[in-house]
Amino acid sequence: MSQTASGKPSPTPRRALSPHLQVWRWHITMFSSIMHRVTGFGSTVGLIMVVAWLVSLALGHQAYTAFLTFAASPLGMIVWFLLSLGGFVHLTGGVRHWIWDLGAGFTPKNADQLAFWSMAAGLVLTLAFWACLFASGKVSL
Amino acid sequence: MSSKRDLIGRSVADWKKSEHHGAGTWLAERLTSVVLAVLTLWVAYSAVKLAGGGYEAALAFVKAPLNAGLIGLTAIFAVWHMYMGLRMVVEDYFDKREGLGFYLFLIFLLSLVLLVATGAALYLVHQAA
Repeated sequence: MSQTASGKPSPTPRRALSPHLQVWRWHITMFSSIMHRVTGFGSTVGLIMVVAWLVSLALGHQAYTAFLTFAASPLGMIVWFLLSLGGFVHLTGGVRHWIWDLGAGFTPKNADQLAFWSMAAGLVLTLAFWACLFASGKVSL
Repeated sequence: MSSKRDLIGRSVADWKKSEHHGAGTWLAERLTSVVLAVLTLWVAYSAVKLAGGGYEAALAFVKAPLNAGLIGLTAIFAVWHMYMGLRMVVEDYFDKREGLGFYLFLIFLLSLVLLVATGAALYLVHQAA
Protein backbone atom coordinates (compact mmCIF):
# COMPACT_ATOMS: atom_id res chain seq x y z
CA MET A 1 0.00 0.00 0.00
CA SER A 2 1.59 3.23 -1.14
CA GLN A 3 1.66 6.29 1.11
CA THR A 4 2.50 9.91 0.38
CA ALA A 5 5.35 11.73 2.15
CA SER A 6 2.90 13.38 4.50
CA GLY A 7 1.80 9.95 5.71
CA LYS A 8 -1.67 10.25 4.24
CA PRO A 9 -2.86 7.32 2.14
CA SER A 10 -2.83 7.93 -1.59
CA PRO A 11 -6.05 7.28 -3.49
CA THR A 12 -6.35 3.71 -4.68
CA PRO A 13 -6.47 3.49 -8.47
CA ARG A 14 -9.75 2.27 -9.93
CA ARG A 15 -9.28 -1.35 -10.96
CA ALA A 16 -11.19 -4.55 -11.58
CA LEU A 17 -12.32 -6.37 -8.44
CA SER A 18 -11.38 -9.74 -9.94
CA PRO A 19 -9.44 -10.79 -13.03
CA HIS A 20 -11.63 -10.42 -16.08
CA LEU A 21 -11.67 -12.98 -18.87
CA GLN A 22 -9.31 -11.07 -21.15
CA VAL A 23 -6.35 -10.86 -18.78
CA TRP A 24 -5.66 -14.59 -18.63
CA ARG A 25 -3.01 -16.37 -20.65
CA TRP A 26 -4.57 -19.50 -22.13
CA HIS A 27 -4.26 -22.48 -19.83
CA ILE A 28 -6.46 -25.49 -19.19
CA THR A 29 -6.98 -24.66 -15.51
CA MET A 30 -8.02 -21.14 -16.48
CA PHE A 31 -10.40 -22.62 -19.05
CA SER A 32 -11.95 -25.08 -16.56
CA SER A 33 -12.31 -22.30 -14.00
CA ILE A 34 -14.18 -20.12 -16.50
CA MET A 35 -16.22 -23.13 -17.61
CA HIS A 36 -17.24 -23.77 -14.00
CA ARG A 37 -18.86 -20.35 -13.95
CA VAL A 38 -20.32 -20.71 -17.44
CA THR A 39 -21.80 -24.14 -16.63
CA GLY A 40 -23.02 -22.85 -13.28
CA PHE A 41 -24.88 -20.11 -15.12
CA GLY A 42 -26.14 -22.70 -17.61
CA SER A 43 -27.43 -24.78 -14.70
CA THR A 44 -29.41 -21.74 -13.57
CA VAL A 45 -31.12 -21.75 -16.97
CA GLY A 46 -31.63 -25.51 -16.60
CA LEU A 47 -33.23 -25.01 -13.19
CA ILE A 48 -35.61 -22.42 -14.65
CA MET A 49 -36.51 -24.88 -17.44
CA VAL A 50 -37.22 -27.74 -15.02
CA VAL A 51 -39.35 -25.48 -12.82
CA ALA A 52 -41.19 -24.35 -15.99
CA TRP A 53 -41.83 -28.04 -16.77
CA LEU A 54 -43.23 -28.59 -13.27
CA VAL A 55 -45.43 -25.48 -13.44
CA SER A 56 -46.79 -26.46 -16.88
CA LEU A 57 -47.61 -29.89 -15.48
CA ALA A 58 -49.48 -28.32 -12.57
CA LEU A 59 -51.43 -26.02 -14.89
CA GLY A 60 -52.97 -28.93 -16.75
CA HIS A 61 -52.90 -30.92 -19.95
CA GLN A 62 -53.03 -27.93 -22.30
CA ALA A 63 -50.15 -26.06 -20.66
CA TYR A 64 -48.10 -29.27 -20.53
CA THR A 65 -48.64 -29.89 -24.24
CA ALA A 66 -47.65 -26.27 -24.96
CA PHE A 67 -44.43 -26.71 -22.97
CA LEU A 68 -43.63 -29.96 -24.79
CA THR A 69 -44.22 -28.27 -28.15
CA PHE A 70 -40.98 -26.47 -27.42
CA ALA A 71 -39.27 -28.98 -25.10
CA ALA A 72 -39.71 -31.96 -27.42
CA SER A 73 -38.91 -30.05 -30.62
CA PRO A 74 -35.51 -30.40 -32.33
CA LEU A 75 -34.52 -26.96 -30.98
CA GLY A 76 -35.72 -27.99 -27.53
CA MET A 77 -33.63 -31.16 -27.72
CA ILE A 78 -30.52 -29.11 -28.53
CA VAL A 79 -31.28 -26.84 -25.57
CA TRP A 80 -31.77 -29.84 -23.24
CA PHE A 81 -28.55 -31.39 -24.52
CA LEU A 82 -26.56 -28.21 -23.82
CA LEU A 83 -28.22 -27.80 -20.41
CA SER A 84 -27.44 -31.41 -19.47
CA LEU A 85 -23.85 -30.96 -20.67
CA GLY A 86 -23.55 -27.81 -18.56
CA GLY A 87 -25.08 -29.55 -15.56
CA PHE A 88 -22.80 -32.60 -15.73
CA VAL A 89 -19.64 -30.56 -16.39
CA HIS A 90 -20.55 -28.35 -13.42
CA LEU A 91 -21.11 -31.50 -11.33
CA THR A 92 -17.70 -32.98 -12.18
CA GLY A 93 -16.15 -29.52 -11.79
CA GLY A 94 -17.66 -29.55 -8.30
CA VAL A 95 -15.99 -32.89 -7.60
CA ARG A 96 -12.72 -31.20 -8.59
CA HIS A 97 -13.42 -28.54 -5.97
CA TRP A 98 -14.02 -31.22 -3.33
CA ILE A 99 -10.64 -32.77 -4.17
CA TRP A 100 -9.03 -29.35 -3.75
CA ASP A 101 -10.91 -28.93 -0.47
CA LEU A 102 -9.23 -32.10 0.78
CA GLY A 103 -5.89 -30.40 0.11
CA ALA A 104 -5.02 -32.49 -2.95
CA GLY A 105 -4.42 -31.71 -6.61
CA PHE A 106 -2.61 -28.41 -6.26
CA THR A 107 0.65 -29.12 -8.08
CA PRO A 108 0.56 -27.66 -11.62
CA LYS A 109 0.70 -31.16 -13.15
CA ASN A 110 -2.13 -32.53 -10.98
CA ALA A 111 -4.21 -29.40 -11.46
CA ASP A 112 -3.89 -29.72 -15.25
CA GLN A 113 -4.89 -33.39 -15.16
CA LEU A 114 -7.77 -32.68 -12.81
CA ALA A 115 -9.04 -29.91 -15.07
CA PHE A 116 -8.92 -32.18 -18.12
CA TRP A 117 -10.44 -35.26 -16.49
CA SER A 118 -13.20 -33.40 -14.71
CA MET A 119 -14.38 -31.89 -18.00
CA ALA A 120 -13.96 -35.22 -19.82
CA ALA A 121 -15.97 -37.00 -17.12
CA GLY A 122 -18.72 -34.39 -17.46
CA LEU A 123 -18.87 -35.06 -21.19
CA VAL A 124 -18.93 -38.84 -20.64
CA LEU A 125 -21.78 -38.53 -18.11
CA THR A 126 -23.73 -36.38 -20.58
CA LEU A 127 -23.26 -38.88 -23.41
CA ALA A 128 -24.22 -41.76 -21.09
CA PHE A 129 -27.35 -39.85 -20.03
CA TRP A 130 -28.41 -39.32 -23.66
CA ALA A 131 -27.53 -42.90 -24.55
CA CYS A 132 -29.97 -43.99 -21.80
CA LEU A 133 -32.63 -41.60 -23.15
CA PHE A 134 -32.34 -42.91 -26.70
CA ALA A 135 -32.00 -46.52 -25.53
CA SER A 136 -35.32 -46.19 -23.70
CA GLY A 137 -36.88 -45.80 -27.14
CA LYS A 138 -39.13 -42.97 -25.93
CA VAL A 139 -36.83 -40.20 -27.11
CA SER A 140 -35.94 -39.82 -30.77
CA LEU A 141 -34.90 -37.07 -33.11
CA MET B 1 -12.47 9.01 -5.74
CA SER B 2 -14.73 7.75 -3.00
CA SER B 3 -13.13 7.18 0.36
CA LYS B 4 -15.12 3.95 0.64
CA ARG B 5 -12.91 2.64 -2.14
CA ASP B 6 -9.79 3.37 -0.11
CA LEU B 7 -8.56 0.20 1.58
CA ILE B 8 -6.76 2.07 4.36
CA GLY B 9 -9.87 4.10 5.02
CA ARG B 10 -11.84 1.03 5.91
CA SER B 11 -12.44 0.35 9.55
CA VAL B 12 -11.12 -2.68 11.35
CA ALA B 13 -14.74 -3.72 11.98
CA ASP B 14 -15.27 -3.86 8.23
CA TRP B 15 -12.27 -6.12 7.73
CA LYS B 16 -13.38 -8.42 10.50
CA LYS B 17 -16.72 -9.20 8.89
CA SER B 18 -15.25 -12.23 7.13
CA GLU B 19 -14.28 -13.62 10.53
CA HIS B 20 -17.95 -14.34 11.20
CA HIS B 21 -19.48 -14.87 7.78
CA GLY B 22 -16.85 -16.19 5.35
CA ALA B 23 -16.73 -19.76 6.65
CA GLY B 24 -20.52 -19.99 6.75
CA THR B 25 -20.88 -19.34 3.04
CA TRP B 26 -17.98 -21.63 2.23
CA LEU B 27 -19.55 -24.45 4.25
CA ALA B 28 -23.00 -23.83 2.73
CA GLU B 29 -21.50 -24.06 -0.77
CA ARG B 30 -20.00 -27.45 0.09
CA LEU B 31 -23.10 -28.74 1.85
CA THR B 32 -25.38 -27.79 -1.05
CA SER B 33 -22.94 -29.18 -3.63
CA VAL B 34 -22.77 -32.58 -1.90
CA VAL B 35 -26.56 -32.79 -1.55
CA LEU B 36 -27.09 -31.63 -5.14
CA ALA B 37 -24.60 -34.13 -6.56
CA VAL B 38 -26.85 -36.90 -5.22
CA LEU B 39 -30.14 -35.20 -6.09
CA THR B 40 -29.15 -34.30 -9.67
CA LEU B 41 -28.33 -37.96 -10.34
CA TRP B 42 -31.87 -38.75 -9.13
CA VAL B 43 -33.18 -35.99 -11.42
CA ALA B 44 -31.27 -37.46 -14.38
CA TYR B 45 -32.60 -40.94 -13.56
CA SER B 46 -36.16 -39.58 -13.29
CA ALA B 47 -35.78 -37.69 -16.57
CA VAL B 48 -34.87 -40.95 -18.34
CA LYS B 49 -37.89 -42.64 -16.72
CA LEU B 50 -40.32 -39.84 -17.61
CA ALA B 51 -39.10 -38.76 -21.06
CA GLY B 52 -41.72 -39.38 -23.73
CA GLY B 53 -44.11 -40.82 -21.15
CA GLY B 54 -46.81 -38.19 -21.58
CA TYR B 55 -48.90 -36.04 -19.25
CA GLU B 56 -50.56 -38.75 -17.13
CA ALA B 57 -47.30 -40.50 -16.32
CA ALA B 58 -45.61 -37.21 -15.38
CA LEU B 59 -48.56 -36.24 -13.18
CA ALA B 60 -48.55 -39.62 -11.41
CA PHE B 61 -44.79 -39.23 -10.85
CA VAL B 62 -45.14 -35.81 -9.19
CA LYS B 63 -48.15 -37.00 -7.16
CA ALA B 64 -46.13 -39.74 -5.50
CA PRO B 65 -45.22 -38.32 -2.03
CA LEU B 66 -41.57 -39.44 -2.17
CA ASN B 67 -41.05 -37.82 -5.59
CA ALA B 68 -42.82 -34.62 -4.51
CA GLY B 69 -40.62 -34.45 -1.42
CA LEU B 70 -37.45 -34.99 -3.44
CA ILE B 71 -38.55 -32.35 -5.99
CA GLY B 72 -39.08 -29.86 -3.15
CA LEU B 73 -35.72 -30.76 -1.60
CA THR B 74 -33.95 -30.46 -4.96
CA ALA B 75 -35.55 -27.05 -5.54
CA ILE B 76 -34.48 -25.74 -2.13
CA PHE B 77 -30.88 -26.90 -2.44
CA ALA B 78 -30.57 -25.95 -6.13
CA VAL B 79 -31.94 -22.44 -5.51
CA TRP B 80 -29.74 -22.02 -2.43
CA HIS B 81 -26.65 -23.12 -4.40
CA MET B 82 -27.66 -20.94 -7.37
CA TYR B 83 -28.18 -17.94 -5.09
CA MET B 84 -24.68 -18.23 -3.63
CA GLY B 85 -23.06 -18.89 -7.00
CA LEU B 86 -24.69 -16.02 -8.88
CA ARG B 87 -24.04 -13.71 -5.93
CA MET B 88 -20.36 -14.62 -5.89
CA VAL B 89 -19.94 -13.92 -9.61
CA VAL B 90 -21.76 -10.59 -9.40
CA GLU B 91 -19.77 -9.54 -6.32
CA ASP B 92 -16.56 -10.36 -8.21
CA TYR B 93 -17.27 -8.01 -11.08
CA PHE B 94 -19.47 -5.18 -9.79
CA ASP B 95 -19.12 -2.83 -6.87
CA LYS B 96 -21.76 -0.67 -5.22
CA ARG B 97 -21.48 2.12 -7.79
CA GLU B 98 -21.85 -0.28 -10.69
CA GLY B 99 -25.25 -1.58 -9.73
CA LEU B 100 -24.21 -4.37 -7.36
CA GLY B 101 -27.31 -3.80 -5.22
CA PHE B 102 -29.60 -4.07 -8.22
CA TYR B 103 -28.04 -7.33 -9.43
CA LEU B 104 -28.21 -8.80 -5.93
CA PHE B 105 -31.89 -7.85 -5.82
CA LEU B 106 -32.49 -9.57 -9.19
CA ILE B 107 -30.79 -12.73 -7.92
CA PHE B 108 -32.91 -12.66 -4.77
CA LEU B 109 -36.05 -12.14 -6.86
CA LEU B 110 -35.19 -15.04 -9.20
CA SER B 111 -34.55 -17.31 -6.21
CA LEU B 112 -37.85 -16.33 -4.63
CA VAL B 113 -39.82 -16.83 -7.88
CA LEU B 114 -38.30 -20.28 -8.43
CA LEU B 115 -39.10 -21.42 -4.88
CA VAL B 116 -42.65 -20.03 -4.92
CA ALA B 117 -43.30 -21.50 -8.38
CA THR B 118 -42.09 -24.94 -7.27
CA GLY B 119 -44.13 -24.80 -4.08
CA ALA B 120 -47.25 -23.62 -5.90
CA ALA B 121 -46.88 -26.28 -8.62
CA LEU B 122 -46.47 -29.07 -6.05
CA TYR B 123 -49.50 -27.73 -4.15
CA LEU B 124 -51.64 -27.57 -7.30
CA VAL B 125 -50.72 -31.10 -8.36
CA HIS B 126 -51.59 -32.47 -4.93
CA GLN B 127 -54.80 -30.43 -4.67
CA ALA B 128 -56.25 -32.00 -7.81
CA ALA B 129 -57.72 -35.31 -6.75
